[in-house]
Amino acid sequence: MDIKREDIIHLAELSNFSLPEKEIKSLQTDLQGIIRYISQLDELKVDDVEPTYQVFEMENVWREDEILPQEADREALLALTKEEKDNQIKVPKVL
Amino acid sequence: MKVANKKVTAERLVRDALEKAKHFEDYHIFTFINEEGALKKAREIDQKIARGEKVGRLAGVPYALKDNFLSTEGETTASAHILQGFNSPVTATSVAKLEAEGAIMIGRTNLDAFAHGSSTENSYFGPTLNSHDKQRVAGGSSGGSAVAVALDIVEFATGTDTGGSVRQPASFNGIYGLKPTYGTISRYGVVAMASSTDCIGFFTKTPEDMDLLMSVASGQDSKDMTTLPDYYNDSVYKKGPAKVGIIKDFDNDSVHPEIRKALKNKVELLKSKGHEIIELEMPALKYGLAAYYILVPAELCSNLSRHDGIRYGFRSEKSKDLDALYENTRNEGFMPENKRRIMIGNFVLSSGFYDAYFLKAAKARTLIVQEYARAFSKVDYILTPVSPNPAFKLGEKVDDPVAMYLEDVMSVSLNLAGVPGLAIPAGETKEGLSLGLQLVGPRRSDKALIEFSKELI
Amino acid sequence: MKYIPTIGIECHVQLCTKTKLFSEVDNDARGKEPNSCVSPVDYALPGMLPRLNGEAIKYAIRAGRAMNCEINASSRFDRKHYFYPDSPKGYQITQFYHPIIGEGYVELPSGTRVRIEHAHLEGDAGKLTHFKDYSLVDLNRVDTPLIEIVSMPDIHSAKDVHDYCKELWRLMCHAGVTNGDLYNGNMRFDVNVSVAEEGSEKLGTRAEIKNLNSFRSAERAAEFEIKRQTKLLEAGEKVKQETRGWDDATGKTSPQRSKEEAKDYRYMPEPDIPPINLTKEFIDTESAKLPLMPMDYRNLFHDIIKEDVLEVLLDYPQLMNKLGEIALSSHLGHTQGRSAELMVLDGTTSAISLTSNLFTSVLLAEEKSVEYLNDLPSAKDLNELAEMNEKKELSSTATKEVFLHLFDPQMKGRGTKQIAKELGLIQENDLGALEKIVDIVLAKPETQKAQIDFKAGEEKVIGFLVGQVMKESHGKANPSSVQEILRKKLK
Repeated sequence: MDIKREDIIHLAELSNFSLPEKEIKSLQTDLQGIIRYISQLDELKVDDVEPTYQVFEMENVWREDEILPQEADREALLALTKEEKDNQIKVPKVL
Repeated sequence: MKVANKKVTAERLVRDALEKAKHFEDYHIFTFINEEGALKKAREIDQKIARGEKVGRLAGVPYALKDNFLSTEGETTASAHILQGFNSPVTATSVAKLEAEGAIMIGRTNLDAFAHGSSTENSYFGPTLNSHDKQRVAGGSSGGSAVAVALDIVEFATGTDTGGSVRQPASFNGIYGLKPTYGTISRYGVVAMASSTDCIGFFTKTPEDMDLLMSVASGQDSKDMTTLPDYYNDSVYKKGPAKVGIIKDFDNDSVHPEIRKALKNKVELLKSKGHEIIELEMPALKYGLAAYYILVPAELCSNLSRHDGIRYGFRSEKSKDLDALYENTRNEGFMPENKRRIMIGNFVLSSGFYDAYFLKAAKARTLIVQEYARAFSKVDYILTPVSPNPAFKLGEKVDDPVAMYLEDVMSVSLNLAGVPGLAIPAGETKEGLSLGLQLVGPRRSDKALIEFSKELI
Repeated sequence: MKYIPTIGIECHVQLCTKTKLFSEVDNDARGKEPNSCVSPVDYALPGMLPRLNGEAIKYAIRAGRAMNCEINASSRFDRKHYFYPDSPKGYQITQFYHPIIGEGYVELPSGTRVRIEHAHLEGDAGKLTHFKDYSLVDLNRVDTPLIEIVSMPDIHSAKDVHDYCKELWRLMCHAGVTNGDLYNGNMRFDVNVSVAEEGSEKLGTRAEIKNLNSFRSAERAAEFEIKRQTKLLEAGEKVKQETRGWDDATGKTSPQRSKEEAKDYRYMPEPDIPPINLTKEFIDTESAKLPLMPMDYRNLFHDIIKEDVLEVLLDYPQLMNKLGEIALSSHLGHTQGRSAELMVLDGTTSAISLTSNLFTSVLLAEEKSVEYLNDLPSAKDLNELAEMNEKKELSSTATKEVFLHLFDPQMKGRGTKQIAKELGLIQENDLGALEKIVDIVLAKPETQKAQIDFKAGEEKVIGFLVGQVMKESHGKANPSSVQEILRKKLK
């Protein structure tokens, strides 16, 4: 399939990138090439094949419902953010 | 590997490593040197030894840590701008296990940002140079770790292998590199690339060292629901003649002649030692790369969604509102290759394309899993090249993503199937570039792979 | 032209497990400081992986059974992607392709059945507080386990919206899977309303009113939407498919400004969590833990407890539980269509009706009643109380008095009889003893006039005389017997 400029802009929105014009151009070329390559799966007939999402033969892996001390507490975590206020993470206003 | 004792102090080992690291600075191996921390730990170990206390199996052994492993020593950046300034409060399970045995991290190593690449050229810090030829790439994504071991700076280094990121740089630098069975070593605390294919692995100079590291680092972890109950230390390797498969389809003109020659030499060596060589046809593998470059981008674009500048790492300052914060931070924070893969991932998952790409690739993956199962019903191991070419020139492929991806054509199918692969040294080209092959086995055959690789020396 | 509303409801229920869905931190953040219930996993540090809480699976099974739903042996988690500060991972872990709870139905008190399409497990989002030029993010609520219950569009009136939401709330509370604290958002409702001409084949365009957190507002919002959409159609205009917000103050819904349109969540199977494949045994064991549900109690008590009283009591699982104990001698913790064969034990009828009345008229009137609910008297004590009341050993006032003292930390546990004695509330029914007291009173000079008046036919003075005897007996005499004796003696 052909990758158009709008496709790149849509994918950039989904990816949350503010792409400068020149990047839009180069990405259009790159993605076109990559998608052409991966599209070779089109020739594959797999309608009756079950998909594989994990190569891990175990199932029903879960833990007990017990409160445990964690490796990092609130102070350690909030110390990582650029802006903190009243023990909360501060972000610019939502438009 | 050299372990600290009464004669050789840990401080000596660490100082030597730190000096070599300085000496090879121009190879651009490290993103952080842990001088203070390493020396402090070394002295503690030496005091223990002096007091006659018991020390770990890796006491005082200097090692290099790929910069996508979280630990409280140095920033964990995954060589990505968007993680600049991230001082992790938590430590990866694998790192904790190594350090519990006395291993000492002397530095964090360079990689393709978020492990997206096969040359370590996609690093925010610039490329690492090949240990055999400074004009060439180190391979990737674990380039820094491979070169650190190849140049004998450290005894071993950690790596991550999602599609060949341990095996390929190992073969580009003439050392051993293991991608274990999926689920053998905990992924907890390792910056995720693609959850269903990511494997933690090691670079060593000998099979014996690899075995020791595996016995230390493997095992189930309550912090990673996809770790297998410990099997490595219980697995038994039975010596004697083995059936070794070679893949017909991989023996063609797209593979570098000297690599095909190296394979033939090793095949002869095995025959001479009484092992049986069986030609395999594995047609499904030819879809491996396409399936890989659908499934992996999908998972990595999902895993990279958390990098948004809000809770940690880099935050673009020129953002008055939230939308701008997201868009600028992610646009400035990711490398071009990261962006390509994130956008491909969003493409194959987006409505209208999911079935044609993601679902189809997941079904192709089933065929590949079955292909390996069939193969291992006939043979004990498979011997193949790791990549179609030896180390290529810096800049040669960096602007041609597909050409770069094609370097992974022989390595990715193992990750899709979850089977282990050990890259082994296999001589050098006329120009002195190192050559590597990979020994592949069924799931949980990691120990056997390491033992059997001695037959190839 | 008549227009018929068609309504479907999505309900989010916060499960009251001890820990969160994917990490071992406290799951009940009510009254706790911001970000004090957050693990590195919830904070979504790089390299952090989910650690699934098995109890949430078990709760989901119970919740599903409470709604008569199929439980799917195989289920798995998926990722739903969107960028917002309330979602640290950049995706929500949910069950899009293979939910754990399949089809079922909820029966309203009116008898209306609302089919359940499916229900799935997922993690909740964090909380943003908006200020003039910035917002603050609290991640305490991140990955609190939720089940999202998706109904079929089987509701056709605002009243049924109310009743469905309330019945769901009761089911979840009785099943014990949620704290049911609506004020703290333990249950939130999204109401999808569409309106179409009567008899028309296809449904009208629907509007979704999001995040309603009370039965009343859900009902009012639906009411408003039905009117709004009907007006539009009558005026020949079109209803826009959109998400709308509800304002309790103005009583109006209004379009929500959001990038909703063209939202593409890019669902993907969650690769960090192995699939869930439950055995029949596992599902049955969990299903069996489901206690009696509101419908069971309705079947059990319909001719003992007045409907309005029963519907009040059904809001309090603990109280219904206790009545169940009394009725069935021991509490039954099992389920499945057993309500049919359930029967109230002989002789417990009066105990049930008395206790249910005490619960509504006395206990629920107390302002400390909430605390009391979690520490109710034993069925034995309550049975005894009913017995004494029936035998007239306790007057109705005394019965209430003793009932309240069954909650008294000092007295409870001593048994009803003992408490009644200590309070000196047991009525004197021994006629011999009563006659003696009556004689004493009749001998008193201050009663002479009354006696003469009574004999002269002054009926009402009997009250005065009874009062005197009660006084003499310190209130222990049974007034009716006293009057009997007086009449005999003053003939």
